[in-house]
Amino acid sequence: MNDDIHALSGAYAVDALDDAERARFERHLAGCTACQAEVESLFAAASELSVLTEATPPASLRAKVLGDIATVRPLPPLTAPTDQSRDQAGDQPSDQPGDQLGDGADAPPVEQLADRRRARGLSRGWRGLVAAATVAVLAISGFVVWRQVNADPARTIAEQVLAAGDATRTSKTFADGSTATMVRSGSLHKAVIITSGMAQPPGGKVYQLWLQDPTGHMASAGVMPPGPDQVVVLEGDASKATGAGITIEPAGGSGQPTSDPIALFSFA
Amino acid sequence: MSRFSVVPSGDGSPEGTARPVTLEQLLRRSATGDETAFAELYDAVSPRLFGLVRRVVRDPAQSEEVAQEVFLEIWRHSARFDPGKGGALSWMLTIAHRKAVDRVRSAEAARHRDEGYGSSNQDVTHDSTAEAVVERLDAERVHRALDTLTPAQRQALELAYLSGYTHTEVATMLDLPLGTAKTRIRDGLIRLRDTLGVTR
Repeated sequence: MNDDIHALSGAYAVDALDDAERARFERHLAGCTACQAEVESLFAAASELSVLTEATPPASLRAKVLGDIATVRPLPPLTAPTDQSRDQAGDQPSDQPGDQLGDGADAPPVEQLADRRRARGLSRGWRGLVAAATVAVLAISGFVVWRQVNADPARTIAEQVLAAGDATRTSKTFADGSTATMVRSGSLHKAVIITSGMAQPPGGKVYQLWLQDPTGHMASAGVMPPGPDQVVVLEGDASKATGAGITIEPAGGSGQPTSDPIALFSFA
Repeated sequence: MSRFSVVPSGDGSPEGTARPVTLEQLLRRSATGDETAFAELYDAVSPRLFGLVRRVVRDPAQSEEVAQEVFLEIWRHSARFDPGKGGALSWMLTIAHRKAVDRVRSAEAARHRDEGYGSSNQDVTHDSTAEAVVERLDAERVHRALDTLTPAQRQALELAYLSGYTHTEVATMLDLPLGTAKTRIRDGLIRLRDTLGVTR
């Protein structure tokens, strides 16, 4: 157990971590049963404090809430997968049916979210780049887009990935406020990127997507179509990938990345 | 004994005694689309959830918006609640707290956060005297537990949980070395947990 990160359990239980710390702690939590138990008990302890802040809501709230729910179908329960897809020898068997709120809703909670994350890291080559690019992993952004996608009744591959019980997601917010969210489902072998407000690439260039395999090799996963708001399924099998990235490449794309990535997403 | 337990309810509270229906049961019925069950759930927990959201968010109009989102979230995810991982109320409060914190950390909310907010529970109304007594006893119990914390732990915990600041912000506000606030928050929570006898 890493003592330093373990000490974040209390701050995590009261939502007092910033986004990067939260993402880091959730990765740790996935493999630390001591922290999982502690976090659950601290959630419960913190919840007790709410007895001190009870307040009667305005009557209008009840009507709004009951109006809302009449128009929204509750999500189905998470069920055990019927097909044990063998994706990684190193994967921990997951007898938990994923997380409680893991369909991409905007309250990604907590220890359940981390449960299904795999304890794998980016391989060395990308790890250096991650440091160089000082990627901030934001677990929250991108949900507006997400909801729009989810609301569409047609079940495209992208939607299936987004709704998958084992879907994991990481987001990056760029300096201009645009966001890119990578969602990956091991059981569906696919990853999807959702961009919101992305600036045009420089003239004559394109955004190219990459998947990295465990040996460190990076395979092209296709070129992003132009436009600021995209939902794109990455080409290739994402179940074995350890991470994904975006680079800026000449029109038509490259066989190998020719520039440092503007964003990296770890599937660990 | 509180009206509903934050901690393991379900198994712990036999049916047919003080409260005929547990929050878990109401959640489970909600998951099947039972709007009546959800209305009952709302009536049971809305003062706790709304009060917490209001304490963190402060702005009344925004608090109502956030609370509305929280309840819709609970409705949508009612089938995903896992009693093996804690009580129903704790689960709902965790969702409410997270949403409230997300709201105050967004830029536009920051402008409003210090605008008029008095005592958090000044506008509580009680439908029955018995319930009021139970509530008062609950509050006294939590107050007593908070009194076992050191003042430094309590201050850090309250700034984090009730005011929604990050541990780094708390450290800066209190002029503490970085890392001290997170330790105080954790130590304070552990003491609170152990004093209250929270088992999970």
